[in-house]
Amino acid sequence: MKKNIIIAILTGLSLTSCDKDYLDVQPTEFVTPEQVGGVSEYDPAILNGFLGGVYSTMYSVEVGGTTGDDDFGQKGIDIYTDMLSGDMALSRSGYGWYRTLTQLTETVDFTRNSNYIPWRYYYRIVFGANNVIKAQGGNDADPETEGGRHALGQAKALRAYGHFYLQQLFAKEYIANEKSVPIKLSVDDSALPRSTSQEVMAQVIKDLEEAIVLLDGFDRPNKTPINQDVAKALAAYAYAYVGDASSLAKARDYAKDVADNSGATLLTSAETVGGMNNVSSNSWLWAVDITTDMGFDLVSFFGQIDYYTYSYQWAGDRKVIDAGLFAQIKPNDIRKTQFNATVAPTNSLYLIPYYKFYDPAREVAGQRYISTDICHLRVEEMYLLYAECAAKTGEETQAKTYLKMLLSNRFANPADYAYLDALTGTALQDEIYLQTRIELWGEGKTYLALKRNKKSVTRGTNHLSHVGTTMQYNDPRFTFSIPQAEVINNPNLNK
Amino acid sequence: MKLKFNGFLVLLLVLMAQLTFAQERVVSGIVTDNTGMPLPGVSVLVKGTKSGTQTDFDGKYSINTKPSDVLVFSYIGMETKTVSATSTNTNIILQQESTALSEVLIVGYTTTNKKDFIGSIKEVKAEEISKKNVSSVTNALAGEVSGVRVINNSGQPGTTGTVRIRGFGSVNGNRNPLYVVDGVPYSGRIESINPSDIASASVLKDATATAIYGARGANGVILITTKMAKKGESYIEVETKTGVNLSLLPRNQTIKSPEEYIGLSWEAMYNKGVILADANPVNYANTNLFSGSGIAPDYNIWNVNNVSELIDPTTKQVRAGVTRKYNPENWEDYAFQNSIRTEANLSMGGGSEKSKYFSSIGYLNDQGYSINSSYERITARLSLVQDVKEWLTASTNIGYTMSTTNQGGQSEDSGSVFWFVDNIPSIYPLFLRDANGNIPNNIYGSPSYDYGETGRGFGGLTNSIADAHYTLEQAKRQEISTSSSFNIKFTKDLNFETKIGTQYWERKFDNMNNKYYGPSAGTNGSIYKTDTQMFTYDVLKMLRYKKTFGVHDLEVLAAHQNNNYQYKFLDASKSQLALPLPEFEQAAVNIGASSYTDNVRLESYFAQANYDFDNRYYFTGTVRRDGSSRFLNDKWGNFYSVGAAWNLTNEAFMKDQTIVSNLKLKTSYGLTGEQDGVGLYPGYDRYNTETGAGGTPSFVFSAKANANLTWETSKMFQVGLEFGILNNRIEGSLDFYNKITDDLLFERRVAISDGYALLNVNGGQLRNQGFEFDVTGHIIKGKNGYLDLTLNGEMLDNKLLSMPIDPATGKEKIIDVQGNYGRAANQSVYDFYLREWAGVNPANGAPLWNQYYNDVNGNGVVDTGEGITSMSIFLDQNPGSESTIKKTTTSTYANATQKFVGKSIIPDVRGAVNISGGYRGFDMSVQMLYSLGGYAYDSAYAALMDNRQIGNNNWHTDIRNRWQQPGDITDVPRLSSNQDPNNSSASTRFITKANYFAINNVRLGYTFPKNVVENLKLSTVSLFISGDNLYISTQRKGFNPSSAETGASDTYAYSPLSTISGGIRVKF
Repeated sequence: MKKNIIIAILTGLSLTSCDKDYLDVQPTEFVTPEQVGGVSEYDPAILNGFLGGVYSTMYSVEVGGTTGDDDFGQKGIDIYTDMLSGDMALSRSGYGWYRTLTQLTETVDFTRNSNYIPWRYYYRIVFGANNVIKAQGGNDADPETEGGRHALGQAKALRAYGHFYLQQLFAKEYIANEKSVPIKLSVDDSALPRSTSQEVMAQVIKDLEEAIVLLDGFDRPNKTPINQDVAKALAAYAYAYVGDASSLAKARDYAKDVADNSGATLLTSAETVGGMNNVSSNSWLWAVDITTDMGFDLVSFFGQIDYYTYSYQWAGDRKVIDAGLFAQIKPNDIRKTQFNATVAPTNSLYLIPYYKFYDPAREVAGQRYISTDICHLRVEEMYLLYAECAAKTGEETQAKTYLKMLLSNRFANPADYAYLDALTGTALQDEIYLQTRIELWGEGKTYLALKRNKKSVTRGTNHLSHVGTTMQYNDPRFTFSIPQAEVINNPNLNK
Repeated sequence: MKLKFNGFLVLLLVLMAQLTFAQERVVSGIVTDNTGMPLPGVSVLVKGTKSGTQTDFDGKYSINTKPSDVLVFSYIGMETKTVSATSTNTNIILQQESTALSEVLIVGYTTTNKKDFIGSIKEVKAEEISKKNVSSVTNALAGEVSGVRVINNSGQPGTTGTVRIRGFGSVNGNRNPLYVVDGVPYSGRIESINPSDIASASVLKDATATAIYGARGANGVILITTKMAKKGESYIEVETKTGVNLSLLPRNQTIKSPEEYIGLSWEAMYNKGVILADANPVNYANTNLFSGSGIAPDYNIWNVNNVSELIDPTTKQVRAGVTRKYNPENWEDYAFQNSIRTEANLSMGGGSEKSKYFSSIGYLNDQGYSINSSYERITARLSLVQDVKEWLTASTNIGYTMSTTNQGGQSEDSGSVFWFVDNIPSIYPLFLRDANGNIPNNIYGSPSYDYGETGRGFGGLTNSIADAHYTLEQAKRQEISTSSSFNIKFTKDLNFETKIGTQYWERKFDNMNNKYYGPSAGTNGSIYKTDTQMFTYDVLKMLRYKKTFGVHDLEVLAAHQNNNYQYKFLDASKSQLALPLPEFEQAAVNIGASSYTDNVRLESYFAQANYDFDNRYYFTGTVRRDGSSRFLNDKWGNFYSVGAAWNLTNEAFMKDQTIVSNLKLKTSYGLTGEQDGVGLYPGYDRYNTETGAGGTPSFVFSAKANANLTWETSKMFQVGLEFGILNNRIEGSLDFYNKITDDLLFERRVAISDGYALLNVNGGQLRNQGFEFDVTGHIIKGKNGYLDLTLNGEMLDNKLLSMPIDPATGKEKIIDVQGNYGRAANQSVYDFYLREWAGVNPANGAPLWNQYYNDVNGNGVVDTGEGITSMSIFLDQNPGSESTIKKTTTSTYANATQKFVGKSIIPDVRGAVNISGGYRGFDMSVQMLYSLGGYAYDSAYAALMDNRQIGNNNWHTDIRNRWQQPGDITDVPRLSSNQDPNNSSASTRFITKANYFAINNVRLGYTFPKNVVENLKLSTVSLFISGDNLYISTQRKGFNPSSAETGASDTYAYSPLSTISGGIRVKF
């Protein structure tokens, strides 16, 4: 028995302490920079995943920090701005998404999620971009490898994209010395004060100009990464927004450069009603090939917009074209058929974009898991932006030429758009603005055009609120409020 | 050397022998009970020896003793009495045992009894647990223990309630107590332990009791001990219960008449026309009632040609004589069912000199009152204790559970049956109607459900009742837990114990959506499966030294423990079904899959010393060092506790009085730790791996690391009193505690522009103070009958003493707003931070809220820039401005001021009243729960009082009090089909008094007399009927603040079910 006891004690004692690393555990549900860093020693390509992650953020759900069914990245914000600008009308509300946004009571109330979502989302993009910039050696780095330069260029363009949209959404308009939003140039910056519009746009343009240089020669594997053309297009938008004469000239030149040299071609008449659902579209410059294994369902752009996807457009939250804008589309314009006018105006399906955005199967509520692709930028935008800036800088003939190139793919008969020839000055600019709204309906670009061109909006008869009301581009209700969560948690915001 | 030692020893022995011989003498006397009746067969022992005797038939005894000896008198059913053998004639009166006091308690790693225990413990015995028809022991604890709250979150059968012990222990960290089953920290599912296998559940509340569990004891500990037979018995026990589950608790009162609903809708459209300044609001309402901005025309269920035939514009109600095309169903009739609960348990036990065993098998089939919700469980248990050798005792306890849960219609979205039942306007039918108002059949040949395809404004394109029928949502779980221990005795006083506990479960969840109807019809059905596995093992090694030296009892133990928790998750889904079977081979298209494994490890060293002197003074001390894998740089925390108690009853000066039969004072102080609630890997920056463009992995940033995160520490001080008066006619306990939690695990919000929103930090300080009472009066205590009344309760105060430091300012954070609550220094963690409702403008019926403004220029109106949106922030940024702040009202919600409104969810007092009584074979008991003071947010009511587009939602009957014409004084604003969009936005309007009084359990039982039973060769036969969750009275019908931690209501909630059941228990 003694012997047994001794054995027992020895066994007991040998068990009394765990290995030194017993308390070190590694996650498998996600990755840590330490884990990826370890693998990158023999597989450096894995580091691309961090840049890829910034792009994924652009189309993932809940990136605005909420669980809302309107929180799914850039396309979600595109719907917000289209609804604010009024060209997208909510004509029927069942589940209530976007209802108070369209009542224009959300943007002025800083406790509302519709302010939080874009703020959270764009600063998430900026943070991700800064993370990549840090890994490439920082803001002033000049990476030696081609891969490093291209990564840094993309990151700077992404940071500019983030800051640009923050400026658009959270500043009433471009007033150089008015406080706008904080500029974040490092992941280590914390609780920074607001900068002026001028400072924000200067940084956006600096980042984009640097990106254009860094991205020289970048041959991207698919349309999701920002290449030089996309960076130029973003620069064109940024310059056009600043809007002084020299900026407009730069915007005009960048837009023309992309229109002429990107290799992308205008959608044909048939493609215009082809569903805007395929990344291989010849006009798409910056886009994402959505696959079912990404796991998106009703909380998605197609979920909110497409009647043929199992989601809200079908289930009764109807997003339609503003009746006033629809009335301005000429009868022979193929784009008029993008919208459902085959039913009575009292029918809730009236004017849904059932031939603009749709799942190819066209089975009502048929798409349960999303495989239809999304587009962030297409070449038509550069034709239109070029026309706009050319018209504003006095090159009206050139402006009309490029606008006609677009319209020749929208009308079968050139006589239908021959009226352009007679237009000059403001009338021409207004026409370009109208064509921009018609061409890019539902693509999140109208709000930018509204602010850039300092226009007003009159809501059509098929809205649920503010029918017939005219509002200016700088109406406070068109500008998002810096969310409460930022105001409370950033004591330096207004310093 | 050897010689010398021997000499010394001999001398010592001689001296001792002389002393002994000189002093030995005989002590004798009579032992009686308190009525003076002599007690035969009482054991009389010299403490610490084996020498002893028994009283004879007349209660007399005599025994040889020394003056320093202590005599112990013990007798079954009586309290053990210990006296010093100072007098040669010692008569003893034994008091009838107050069972609670002398029961053996297992506390931490020692056994003691209630009388000797320093900390706060409350034991709930099998008899109390078996009174209630619950599938989880946790739910049986409701009302039994002061300071313990059991929150019945859902009526889904098989759901375990949430338990909170002593307030809100943490801000963002874990608040769940630690469960310890048969001495092993338990990570399994509580509902998989059959309550009928449980001998007792004890709740430990204070630091001395919980400190031994240091790592996870900060929020209290619940010890569960499973049954074991006693030495010398052998039995079989059979119990069956059958009952019904009902929806007895009131639901929200809503408008059930389609005519009333459409009248209100018309009025809303009329008001909208007025607000829009339409020249003819009657015409506007008539035109738009059934339209895109109103109700879909297909849901005009009346036989009228136009709206003017339907509604009388003067009364704004449906005209007399209008008939319906068809009668829309009341959805509740199809959503709820009366359902059966059946339970049967068979257990066997036996014990001999060397071994004892307990085995059981149990079956439960519990159908919920909502369709397609049920829980079926089979449990089996085997426990064995063996004295293998004189020096080795081994025990094994194995529990196995298999369960099936159906949980249809409970998603928190349009798939919720409860959302539909309470919120769908009564004009909408459950079944589809054709042009003639007839119901067509679906492909299965039964009535077609209406999915609202013709524009139903509520839950468009869904039908949760149809989906609950068509959809499979089933979880099957298998669970096995074991506890094995080996106890090696080195000497009489020193032993080594090792205990190995394991818990394993696997849960397979199948969700199959119908191919033809419902959410996946577009993809010809879909299958989603998850497979989750949990495996935890816990290894304890402990050395214990326990010895009695005369009147000194000493126990010292030291131990090492490690715990490894592993959780594996896998899910996948496919669409395009072939046969309607939930297997992937029956589906064609892959949707996606994911899997991961989580791991948490804990390692601990601890030691404890317990000492008592003469059963009068008790001391205990514990030290503990715990390491957690959750923390990266700072894994280890040190914790300790000390406690003392004074049992006055055993003091000489108490002997001569008869009023106080038991009195014990106790106090303790200790530190316990918390490491849960911050995720498993908070020390690392975390990136989710997503499918990037082109199918490559992309890393999406998800959370920011805090590598220096470490233990949250609670320091709890308590003083307490246990008492018994008049021969324990009245007995009870009082406890006061002060618990200060430091280094709070705080999810501090950061500037959103930093790129992330939250950072886990240690910061701030939280205080929970409480007073707990538990008093029982044995009102009648007779030979044939008894009546006991127990009142227990807690009073709680909760306050954040300080907030975490904000690095941006280097000072404490001013406020952290989380939902309706603001966290700030000197506020509780659940103080409402909201806009203040200011009622309704009598002139036009518009809603009003309070707006505060800084009237710098003193003109009494809100000028540009003077409005205050968030009071705490404003006061921080504008110190000294209090004197110029003024209040007005606004009908623009966004301009109203958010502020602390002076209300919190914390009640003044909360507890239970228990009545139990018996007469001859009958016994009855009633348990009532109460809570007074405190508020909660009734968001379900808010949704029912909303002013959405007509047809979007039903209304509460309180909408009848709405403003209707100028001059109306009311608190319910006008209806306007969403023209006033913020009527129901968060404000004090929906803060509701959270008082409640509930009848939790009523039971009536009858036990057949022994002589009847023994003729049948049985030992016990009893019958009972009981009812659970029978009644609740709250501020508003349908509002049940007892079913959520914050008391807040939830539109999707499965309100707790009520059960009435009867059964029989036979033991032979």
